[in-house]
Amino acid sequence: MKEVGIDSASSLHTSESVGEAPVLRHVAVRPKCSSNVQSTPEIEKKYVHGVYDAIAPHFSSTRFAKWPKVSAFLSSLFPGSLILDAGCGNGKYLGLNPNCFFIGCDISAALINICSDRGHEVLVADVVNLPYRTGYGDAAISIAVLHHLSTENRRRKAVEELVRVVKKGGSVLIIVWAREQEDRSLIEKWTPLNQRYIEEWIGPGSPRVHNPSSPRILESIPEVEENGARERLKDRHANSSKVKLAEVMNSISLDEVSGASTVALASGLAKKDDKRGSVVYNRYYHVFSEGELERLVSDMDNAILVDRFYDKSNWCIILEKTS
Amino acid sequence: MRLLTHNMLSSNIKGVANGFPLKIEVVKVVEKEVDFNIDFLKNMFHKVEWKALVEASTTMGYAELPENADATMLDSDDFLHKFHHALLELHLEEGALVCPQTGRKFPVQKGIPNMLLHEDEV
Repeated sequence: MKEVGIDSASSLHTSESVGEAPVLRHVAVRPKCSSNVQSTPEIEKKYVHGVYDAIAPHFSSTRFAKWPKVSAFLSSLFPGSLILDAGCGNGKYLGLNPNCFFIGCDISAALINICSDRGHEVLVADVVNLPYRTGYGDAAISIAVLHHLSTENRRRKAVEELVRVVKKGGSVLIIVWAREQEDRSLIEKWTPLNQRYIEEWIGPGSPRVHNPSSPRILESIPEVEENGARERLKDRHANSSKVKLAEVMNSISLDEVSGASTVALASGLAKKDDKRGSVVYNRYYHVFSEGELERLVSDMDNAILVDRFYDKSNWCIILEKTS
Repeated sequence: MRLLTHNMLSSNIKGVANGFPLKIEVVKVVEKEVDFNIDFLKNMFHKVEWKALVEASTTMGYAELPENADATMLDSDDFLHKFHHALLELHLEEGALVCPQTGRKFPVQKGIPNMLLHEDEV
């Protein structure tokens, strides 16, 4: 009885056909683990870090295409700039402007090793807690990173960190996957967070089933406050329930079965697609809606938005640090 | 890890007020040539914490930098080359960076510092 459709706003939703009206109850949920914004939630450890570590060599070889918008941004920086790439992945943007110097960091040691082998200056670090002095960089970029952070507070903290580490007047470019996808054929690779993942997802930000008799009604719940206040789920009328498909898994298939994928298959991190003879991993994403990135930065008192655009199914903003 | 990077790194362990500069423990230093870029050097001169750079450079085995420096020295080719060498051409390949307040060691392996914190440090 569940349909996945694409509505006129080109976003995915799941609708429950009207049947028995489920009874909705308030459920107060106390998160089981630390709600510290800098602690890595389990869903990220498994479905972001674990996956990238396992697929690092393959990921490195397929990610050579450079987005022109990023190239343009990097080329616009003054010669001799120090550019910080947070979440640099396989390092494809490091060194892209030959007149500038780049320092990259990523949470995946496997990907950083690849960058280092290519001669780049890199380190292993967490974008939510950059081990950098304030104001040292001339510019910062974070391309396809923030959508892997599973709570709004962590995403906001990452933006604050990116702004913190650049000098006054410095620019920050952030690019994230949009909920509004251009290529509908790619949508089949996306699955909403379903019951199985909900059970594994402990901690702030995780959607909770608030109606046990109709487990497919899911809803993103409000952020837990950092002081540990209890979460409360909003009352929802049955007919307006929709899966909030901001939380999705995106599958990535690798053709070859390597040593790392053998381990991943054994541990359940990956599945074999026998039809195609490939290994399939799922990565966690929080995809951004139009305006969401802007809202994330709207409270910041030390940065202003200087540009925003949509490019190839991604939302992009450029910030300038003002103080 | 180059000293350019070391001059930016700071211990971000919870509760640490003075995480900079990290002390360097040397196991292996390697020298690698880097193209000279005068714009970059002049830009970086105004950013670096000079004393920390001098101390780090000395620890890494290069003691040619003056104890104190000011912007007029940027006119000197000799100074620029020494600055360039210390900032960009000395690599800590193996060793550790030590939090000045807690003594916690961040490992550096194959030239890569690992600055990730443990659960109880965030």
